[in-house]
Amino acid sequence: MTRRLRILDLAGARAAILHRPHATVTALERQLRAIGLSVESGWPDLPAAGREVDFLFFDVDMGFDAQFPWAPGQSPMPMIALIGSEAPGRIEWSLSHSAHAQLLKPVGDNGVYSALLIARAAFAALHGQAARISELQGRLAARETVVRAVMALMAQGMSDEDAFASLRRMATDRRESFEAAAARIIARHDDPQRNGGGQ
Amino acid sequence: MKRAVEIGILLSRSGGYSAISNASYAGVAAAIAGVNADPNLGVELIPVARDPAGQIDLYAPLCREILRNSSARHIIGTITSWSRKEVLPVLERAAATLWYSSPYEGFEASDHIAYMHACPNQHLLPLLDWAMPRFGQRMHLVASNYIWGWEVNRLAREVVTTAGGEVTGERHLALGETDVRGMVDEIAALRPDFVLNSLIGPSQYAFVAAMRPRLPDIPILSCNLTECELSRMGDAAEGLIAAGPYFHAPGSAFANSHEAAAHAAIREMARLFDAHPGGEHLPLAELLALDAGAGPVDAQTHHVSLPVLIAQVRDGAFKVLHRLPARPGDPYLTRPERNRPSLRLVT
Repeated sequence: MTRRLRILDLAGARAAILHRPHATVTALERQLRAIGLSVESGWPDLPAAGREVDFLFFDVDMGFDAQFPWAPGQSPMPMIALIGSEAPGRIEWSLSHSAHAQLLKPVGDNGVYSALLIARAAFAALHGQAARISELQGRLAARETVVRAVMALMAQGMSDEDAFASLRRMATDRRESFEAAAARIIARHDDPQRNGGGQ
Repeated sequence: MKRAVEIGILLSRSGGYSAISNASYAGVAAAIAGVNADPNLGVELIPVARDPAGQIDLYAPLCREILRNSSARHIIGTITSWSRKEVLPVLERAAATLWYSSPYEGFEASDHIAYMHACPNQHLLPLLDWAMPRFGQRMHLVASNYIWGWEVNRLAREVVTTAGGEVTGERHLALGETDVRGMVDEIAALRPDFVLNSLIGPSQYAFVAAMRPRLPDIPILSCNLTECELSRMGDAAEGLIAAGPYFHAPGSAFANSHEAAAHAAIREMARLFDAHPGGEHLPLAELLALDAGAGPVDAQTHHVSLPVLIAQVRDGAFKVLHRLPARPGDPYLTRPERNRPSLRLVT
């Protein structure tokens, strides 16, 4: 998969660092400001701007769930893990919060810019996939609806091919999904006022 | 009585890009002589020089040698981005500083480097901004196959396509490669509105020599061409266009921007060491903090403010066609107020 990085749109971006005061924070802040981001740090509470920032750096060594005002994995922004101890339990915790990129401590002269770009791309990819999965789940769940709608149309004398074509045309005309069109057919079919039987 | 201060010089005075290194060296030598003769400056600069001869694997060992065998903690030199990145880990370990006086591709702001020449918001962006309304928006990219060319092309492509323009092609040549026939044939077939040329050394000389007789009407633009290489190309260089912070004019002090930037770097070192005795042993960030913004190097980005000049070779010398006031270096292109207004479209 190729993914073009846009490099011209970090202007005005804001970052927060969730880490106790430390040389790592100083080095991170220096790099972030040199890159051109504004930055706030806090510990153990998220800095004031915490929810609104464009990037969140968080400490994996000392971090805990209650620091985040969102469910694990549901952060509204890309998250970058600051990893000191590589103990598996800490990595596992960091993964539960879907770290989109990582930096190993101690943080020195570089690494932040690539972490920003990678985290942003991973975050966008995850969100794109989540939206796609939710759409596919919806379509999967509507399989029965589609079958019932086709059968209802066939009961009116259409061939299976014509029934599918008719559904597709309805969906296109009303700019809705195939599944939504199927649901309307069934609603009409099940409505005794409309399905012919009650007239 | 002046205080003796050793400074390192790490320039390839021989090898493939010696023309550029020697231009920088001329600026260094003149500035050291000027500082040492200046009764108002309390320092005497003692150069500790090493020549990596353009061989990439010699940069880190020779940088280490300067730091080990002398008291120098401030070093001027490296021309290519590749060599700059080679010495960076060595500098970091020794808390030493590199004063870098070549144009480069940006996207770096090391705590251990002072960037004294232009980055893209000071060369490439204003050059494209100037070129597109004049020549058109069909751009062709040629470059040497390493980080400078890759990133200049990457950024030029983003800027031109964002503006609605088109990249007709992108070709790279290995460093030192002089077989440019395929490259020139392609340009002849595609007829772009202009060519952005980020070739360096002999590849650039061969390309320019092949283009001039065959496609004299296609403008060739560069962000890395200065006066120090014109003699290598002779008449074929006529019409070439370059962006830079300085071009030589009759009566002006320096022969080219490499010399000017290297000279400025040494003068600034001397000013800092004079104003802050012992500062020659301090890391750059601490020295700049002591100096509290008195000098040209920005404490946040370690870049400097530079004017933007766009010039064309006419009768063997650059003639300035367009001049923009000094703007601060914006290595990550995140400070739109430092760039051209149209960049705001993509922020």
